[in-house]
Amino acid sequence: MTSITFNGIRKTFGTTVALESLDLELQPGELVTLLGPSGCGKTTALRIAAGFEVADAGVVSLSHRDITRTPAHQRNMGMVFQSYSLFPNLTVAQNVEFGLRNRKIEKVKRLTRVGEMLELVQLDDLGKRYPHQLSGGQQQRVALARALAVQPDVLLLDEPLSALDAKVRSTLRDEIRRIQTELHITTLFVTHDQEEALAISDRIGVMSNGQLEQLGTPEDIYLRPTSPFVARFIGSINELPNANGGGQILVRPEDLRISSDEDELEMRGTTTRVTFQGPVTIISVRVDVVDLLVNVHAASGSILTHVGDRVSLAVAPGRGIVEAA
Amino acid sequence: MKRVIGRSGTKVVILVSSIFFALPLLAMMRFAFQNMGVFDLRWSNVFEKWTFGIVTQPFHDQYFTESLYLSGKIAIGTAALTLGMLIPTAIWVHLRVPKARVLVEFLTVLPYVIPAIALVAGIVVIKPHARWFLNSDLSLIPFYTVLALPFTYRAIDSGLRALDLRTLVDASRNLGAGWIRTMTRVIIPNIRSAVVSATFLTVAVALGEFTIANVLLKPTFPPFINEYRMREPRSGYALAVLSLLFTVLVFVFLSIALRSPSTKSRQTSTKSREMP
Repeated sequence: MTSITFNGIRKTFGTTVALESLDLELQPGELVTLLGPSGCGKTTALRIAAGFEVADAGVVSLSHRDITRTPAHQRNMGMVFQSYSLFPNLTVAQNVEFGLRNRKIEKVKRLTRVGEMLELVQLDDLGKRYPHQLSGGQQQRVALARALAVQPDVLLLDEPLSALDAKVRSTLRDEIRRIQTELHITTLFVTHDQEEALAISDRIGVMSNGQLEQLGTPEDIYLRPTSPFVARFIGSINELPNANGGGQILVRPEDLRISSDEDELEMRGTTTRVTFQGPVTIISVRVDVVDLLVNVHAASGSILTHVGDRVSLAVAPGRGIVEAA
Repeated sequence: MKRVIGRSGTKVVILVSSIFFALPLLAMMRFAFQNMGVFDLRWSNVFEKWTFGIVTQPFHDQYFTESLYLSGKIAIGTAALTLGMLIPTAIWVHLRVPKARVLVEFLTVLPYVIPAIALVAGIVVIKPHARWFLNSDLSLIPFYTVLALPFTYRAIDSGLRALDLRTLVDASRNLGAGWIRTMTRVIIPNIRSAVVSATFLTVAVALGEFTIANVLLKPTFPPFINEYRMREPRSGYALAVLSLLFTVLVFVFLSIALRSPSTKSRQTSTKSREMP
């Protein structure tokens, strides 16, 4: 089991700074997700780990062995790409076998390993098919099997689910997590989909403009964002003017309390919309000129308000973060 | 622009262009294989006195085999040089300097714009300094490689464009393959039809080029046909028809022999099962 460390990694493309100075360590067997909007540098970090890009400065190491200048084909990394990357001229089994052949593993062992990997991704009966005969989800499963067949030190996943439809995406996401946990393989996952990141990760690194904004568990990132960017990027957020000291208070819809008694809580407003979504009901309240969203869980009782009602609101104690003006 | 000419219009266009291409060839075949004087050829006797024996006549000429052998060698050399140079260059341009693609395309089209005779004029200028090289008959290979560039580069380039080249190369390298293995196992098999087209076009240029060979006095097949046709007009044209048929057969053979297994399966594939 291997750890991978980025130490002061900087990368520029012309005048664009893709990575400012990335410091990140993945513990053995851990799944860390780099999450951020397009152009935040997450894919560059992954490509530097894979050896497809060379960092301008800094060190990448694998269990404390410097691999910064090691060519891609000499690193033992398994990677699944965003676009379908199976070799169209090879069958499913030959695709999975490709990395094993490069490592000059003898035929019997190769074939056994191919069988095991296809079984792991539940495609053991499709070995003889060609990639164009598979659905998108099946192709990504094969790509995963192919990446894992070589028993890589680290698994790199570059938005492997983004080309798939929603249902397949969530099934495959769970499957990736199951396999990763089963094999206990150190994994770096890159995505711009926060739901995916929250569901799959041991830790999440939220990135913006080539920098790691916050690194923490999914709960930390969601419940205790350390910067306004993270708070805004993950989940929905309300932005309230800060009465004491200027700036704004950022608060999640579930961190706002609502009361049908207009005088009970500190902010007063009018209900403008009530959207029932099963487990939660989203209530939109206009306070002065700002529309605020409030999530009320079904478990907390029946909906107390209707469109046009006067209500009062308050930020739950200890929640919300202050953004300076 | 939808259905401007319609289905029957398309048929008419195909018919007219087929006639345009076929008529001169059929006329040449009549001249070569119909055993009667040119002034006697009429619609009424179009099926009379056809003899194909005449086609074997050039085989007995002492220069036939020699010139064909030389042209064959030059064609193979040209194809090897073209593919050996062009595939890595095109891949390099696609991966490393994609912005230069337009420039490279422009440069490769130049041999098509510059007449062969201008190239010969250039060769004559450098001849005193490169006599050791130009004296060899095989010195035609680099010139033919350049002449074929407008066709061959386009064939390879469009083959590469059809692939997600960057991802396939990254995937291959990530799985431990060096550049040579990535080229031979991943890229070339996936641009197989482009390679076949480029090879065919190179061979066609090498076997059919007349100007440079004639001016540089290289005894290749086209100057031989030309000279032979002047001596023996009918069997000379019969030979031309034969070489045309031969070229078509070579192309058909190459296309079938180099068809990839995944293409074959594509034709017989059943609809894939939809599952995640």
